[in-house]
Amino acid sequence: MEGKQKPEPATAAEQAVIRERIARARAGDADAWGELYRQFAPAIFRFCRRAVPTREDAEDATMEIFIKVREKLSQYDAARPFSAWLYKVSANHCWDLLRRRKVRQDLETGEIEDLPLEHPNPGQLDQLIEKRNNEQVRRALDKLPARARMALVFRYYADMNYDEIAESLGVRRAFVGVVLLRARHLLRDALGARGAAERAAGGAS
Amino acid sequence: MNHFDEMTCLLYLEGQLDAAREEDLTAHTAQCGDCRALLQALQRETHLLSSALTEENEPIPAHLLSEPGQNQIPWAWIISLGLASLCSYAVWTFGIEPWQEELSAAGFNAQHILSLLVFTGAFWKGWSGMINTIQIIALILFGGVAFGVLRRRLRQRTTVALVLSILTLGFVLVQPAGAAEVQHKESYTLTKGEVVHTDLIVASGTAQINGTVEGDLIAFGSAITVSGHVTGDVIVFGNQLRVDGTVDGNVRAGCNTVVIGGNIGKNVMTFSNIFELVSSAQVGGGVISMGNQMTMDGHVHRDVLSMVSQTVIDGAVDGRIMLRGDDLSIGSTAELAGPVTFQSRNQPRVADGAKLASPITLEAEPARRYRRLNSVRDVVHELLRYGAAVVIGLILLTVLPGFFRVALRETGRYGVSIGIGALALMTGVVLLFVGFMLLFVGVRTVLSTFLVYIPLVYFAQVFVGAWLGGQLLRKNAQASGAMLGQLALGLLILHALRYIPYAGGIIWLLIAMWGTGAMLIALHRMLRTEPIAMAA
Repeated sequence: MEGKQKPEPATAAEQAVIRERIARARAGDADAWGELYRQFAPAIFRFCRRAVPTREDAEDATMEIFIKVREKLSQYDAARPFSAWLYKVSANHCWDLLRRRKVRQDLETGEIEDLPLEHPNPGQLDQLIEKRNNEQVRRALDKLPARARMALVFRYYADMNYDEIAESLGVRRAFVGVVLLRARHLLRDALGARGAAERAAGGAS
Repeated sequence: MNHFDEMTCLLYLEGQLDAAREEDLTAHTAQCGDCRALLQALQRETHLLSSALTEENEPIPAHLLSEPGQNQIPWAWIISLGLASLCSYAVWTFGIEPWQEELSAAGFNAQHILSLLVFTGAFWKGWSGMINTIQIIALILFGGVAFGVLRRRLRQRTTVALVLSILTLGFVLVQPAGAAEVQHKESYTLTKGEVVHTDLIVASGTAQINGTVEGDLIAFGSAITVSGHVTGDVIVFGNQLRVDGTVDGNVRAGCNTVVIGGNIGKNVMTFSNIFELVSSAQVGGGVISMGNQMTMDGHVHRDVLSMVSQTVIDGAVDGRIMLRGDDLSIGSTAELAGPVTFQSRNQPRVADGAKLASPITLEAEPARRYRRLNSVRDVVHELLRYGAAVVIGLILLTVLPGFFRVALRETGRYGVSIGIGALALMTGVVLLFVGFMLLFVGVRTVLSTFLVYIPLVYFAQVFVGAWLGGQLLRKNAQASGAMLGQLALGLLILHALRYIPYAGGIIWLLIAMWGTGAMLIALHRMLRTEPIAMAA
């Protein structure tokens, strides 16, 4: 995933700095908390921006998430990467926000029969991807039902694993793949490629 | 050859297949160009998604770049705490004290509100009535469980707020007459000689109380007559009330016609079209009356306070008389021991034989319909009010930045906000009215309900002001400093608007509704989005 702006610094030294800041913030050091905030707020804001419909919602969500994180800082397990925990809290917050607003139009649970078992035409999919830029993808994402959009954001922005996604979205772990694939299909449809990657070619296994 | 389906390919790419299946697929793709192509296409799709999602296509809002509220708290707190006391002083002096004075002058002696709340509110009365230990234990258990459940579900702050408001409600609300006798019939008669040993609640077309009620009488009906003896209060909503018997407590009535001819131990309060105190009536306390016509032939031992269009006094009043209305005529048999103040456009008519302790003071029709800055004192007071409002805004902005922003955004949606606010204030007025009539503890409790309302309405201006300032300065400033500037400007304009003759009052009513509505919606939003199961 080249080109991705990873919010979590890779080096061990930087990890140590974060750990030290967290420890100080837990002890009530406002400056350490401020540093953590400045370090992670942009990534969390972008996360929220992708996850919830409007910019204002994203701003509010960011602030609320950090208020929550500050309160819950003592519960953070230092063995896990801080950013992963942060995303988990953010994912829960955003999903909760949308759920409470009843924006979630898509089905609560998919049936296993819905598992798409096609083998789409790779050439057509390729063509579709070639023609689209980031901006178009983002606009198409905005049109997706909340759960589909959330799943893609959780997975491809925040790098959350399947367990975390399952927990945040409240689906069984076995369904995460289905949710993701269905989201991709919806996205392809939204990108105006009806039929391109659909049942056109290929046989079922 | 059987191709692998897209689901399996995706799971393969994401490393979610078990080892055996993964090997199958690896082996298969080594030979199958089609599946290899699909894997590559999916991989490319992943890249596209990832780069679209993580691309920094828009700047981070400036106010998010610095940790909110970090540096402002200390000085803001120091200033605001100092000025907040000024502000409460202002609210008390301009809002509550005059009210209280008037009421106490009318025979409702105002003791300390809080102590009254505690000792005459639901809690106090409730304890004495709760002889049964099991009930107490059950209540504690229930409370504990409820608190536990709430605490788990809601955030701490929300819970505290909730518990506090419930407690407040408990204090403010009447104790639902613990062991009352409830009668619900077409027509109810308590015959002479019969005794009800508890509170009596009657809801019937007609009710005749000829016997004795050892407690309060609460009645709803079209014609209610009390000729017996009620040791507590009489509270009546209906068409007609006639009291010829003896009431040891207060009489409070919201009726079309109220006629009192008996002996009332304490005060009489009526909201009625016609109120008549016939010559045989004795009222131990004062009379407060609002309505259309009032005739007072009986004897009132304390003050009379009324807002009645036409008043005729032929009886005796030992205390002060404060009237507001169109006409006042004092008959020849009247004996008024205290001073009489009449607020009206018309001169009062006083018959020759009437005994007045002092001449009637005629005050011009409600002195000022609109505000004016007549003196330095007025200017100072207005500045104080303005300062207090700015400070409240500052406190809100500092302590509850999230709430402030949500409420401000709701203020922008003025249609909905004004609608909700109007509804809320109307409900509030109705509740106040019902409270006035129903509450055992009476006026002071209603006043304390008012204490809850006043901040709400007082806060309302903050949001309307901030919104107005934001509109005028035309910059969507998110930093607290800029927000404060907008707030100060907006509030200044609102406080200036107050002095527009006639329209000022209406504008402020609108502001109160508008801001209150916005706050209620914001509150609703925040309570709805905040409780969250944290699986972290």
